[in-house]
Amino acid sequence: MKTAQEMKPNSVALIDGHPWLIQKAEFTKSGRNSAIVKMKLKNLINGSKTETVYKADDKMEPVILERKEVNLSYISGDDYVFMDPEFNSYELRAEDLESVLPFIEEGMNDVCEAVFFEGKVISVDLPTTIVRQLAYTEGSARGDTSGKVMKPAKLSNGTEVKVADFCEIGDWIEIDTRTGEYKSRAKAPA
Amino acid sequence: MRATWDIFCSVVDNYGDIGVTWRLARQLVAEHGLAVRLWLDDMPAFVRLCPQADPQRPTQKQQGVEVRHWPVDWLPVEPADVVIEAFACQLPQSYITAMAAREQKVLWLNLEYLSAEAWVAGCHALPSLQAGGLSKFFFFPGFTAGTGGLLRERDLIAQRQAFQTDAQARHAFLRSVGVSLPAGARLISLFAYENTALASWLDALASSDQATLLLVPEGRILNDLHAWLDGPALQVGAVRQRGQLHIQVLPFLSQEQYDQLLWSCDFNAVRGEDSFVRAQWAGRPLLWHIYQQADDAHLEKLDAFLAIYQAGLSEGAQAALVNLWHAWNQGGSVAQSWNQLLQHGPELSAHADAWALQQASQVDLAAALVQFYLNWL
Repeated sequence: MKTAQEMKPNSVALIDGHPWLIQKAEFTKSGRNSAIVKMKLKNLINGSKTETVYKADDKMEPVILERKEVNLSYISGDDYVFMDPEFNSYELRAEDLESVLPFIEEGMNDVCEAVFFEGKVISVDLPTTIVRQLAYTEGSARGDTSGKVMKPAKLSNGTEVKVADFCEIGDWIEIDTRTGEYKSRAKAPA
Repeated sequence: MRATWDIFCSVVDNYGDIGVTWRLARQLVAEHGLAVRLWLDDMPAFVRLCPQADPQRPTQKQQGVEVRHWPVDWLPVEPADVVIEAFACQLPQSYITAMAAREQKVLWLNLEYLSAEAWVAGCHALPSLQAGGLSKFFFFPGFTAGTGGLLRERDLIAQRQAFQTDAQARHAFLRSVGVSLPAGARLISLFAYENTALASWLDALASSDQATLLLVPEGRILNDLHAWLDGPALQVGAVRQRGQLHIQVLPFLSQEQYDQLLWSCDFNAVRGEDSFVRAQWAGRPLLWHIYQQADDAHLEKLDAFLAIYQAGLSEGAQAALVNLWHAWNQGGSVAQSWNQLLQHGPELSAHADAWALQQASQVDLAAALVQFYLNWL
């Protein structure tokens, strides 16, 4: 058993006998209120979706899932096609990729993990750290070089991230996909 | 057939949790005609709020509410139509099993603590899928549309307004608790946790141009008060004076008496949740001592409330309010911010009254719970 807080996006919990894919999980703790996790769940049997809240220390039964390395092959509208090293392709809808969608873009070469439940692909996990190029950001407002002052920026797919004030258009940056936060400036991928 | 409701309350500390659930239970009975059982694991604490209750009796009817002792060794009972676990207390497992087995479905609610933070509306009324086909809904009180609202009896504002426009009623109440108000004195109530900021406030009040009568219901702040006054231990009824500050210790008040105390005062210092909400209904300026949490998690909650409460105030009044509340909750000196606040007294008084009326225009918590149940059916 795991606590609700330990259950991450793209994991599956068996709730009341039904497998539910956790598409999104937001942890909140404030004041005297119990720490809670707000989740978006998808029922893997009938496809129904629901928004739920759990106490962070509620116990959940995780389902062991099969995983396989894949790369993004192409995007066609809301369809995302991934391919494994044996050239098997796996098609997912944008709605199945909710937790990682902001960081998926054409041409990315990250080695991802396709997640399977009973032989069927249900989602894709990105590496913990990815490198992306900034498509747009304002110039440095304060000339800060410490990395502590942040400013908004956009990736080529339109995703907004906060980056260090010294970052410029065209720079490559590292992003933590668990939090969606900027980590550092990076070298262009080889 | 009246719907049956079970409210479970585990008394953690102080009288906040039990105060809220006792108030809610009575309102559900009085205003919605429901059959309510209130399960309490600390009967002596309940007797403080309801002196006519017998702490030895496991089942008793008080003001229309069936008050039941929640024993450590749970004895099976038929679950109610609606079950509220207050403040995420843990229901007995056999009771949960009985809920799942009940032929008629049970609405299971977790009534959470009050917060003004923005995430509350996004989580309010969401279900939590549980074993046995049960769903537990998280119900968040709050100050804005999309939350569960605040506890407020139907005629509370009218009662308060009538009281505050009747000087005789105020004097009669004060006399009933042994208080004689010095002519021209400002009247302040103080209900707080231990607070190192207290001495600086008392210093400011003592050295003020205007006399102040500070009324202090017995509670955790008395030790800090005693440390500032020095001298013999403070007992209920004790009256002391230093400079312009007169201090009187009051007995533990019933909820109705405490409301009248808040209505009577020009300014109220309150703590936790229940007295915080009641002070808002009093329509008078207030100072909130929030329940402290590790890692200062409570300060975000404090600021979230300030952010919505201060809307409409002048910049000067906003700054005075925020500075005072921050200093009070961080144990710093409040002397300067208190004097700053006094300069905006009339504006803050008018604002407090307008805030109460604005909040009263929203659905109250008990009515919101009942409506949620009706929608769920």
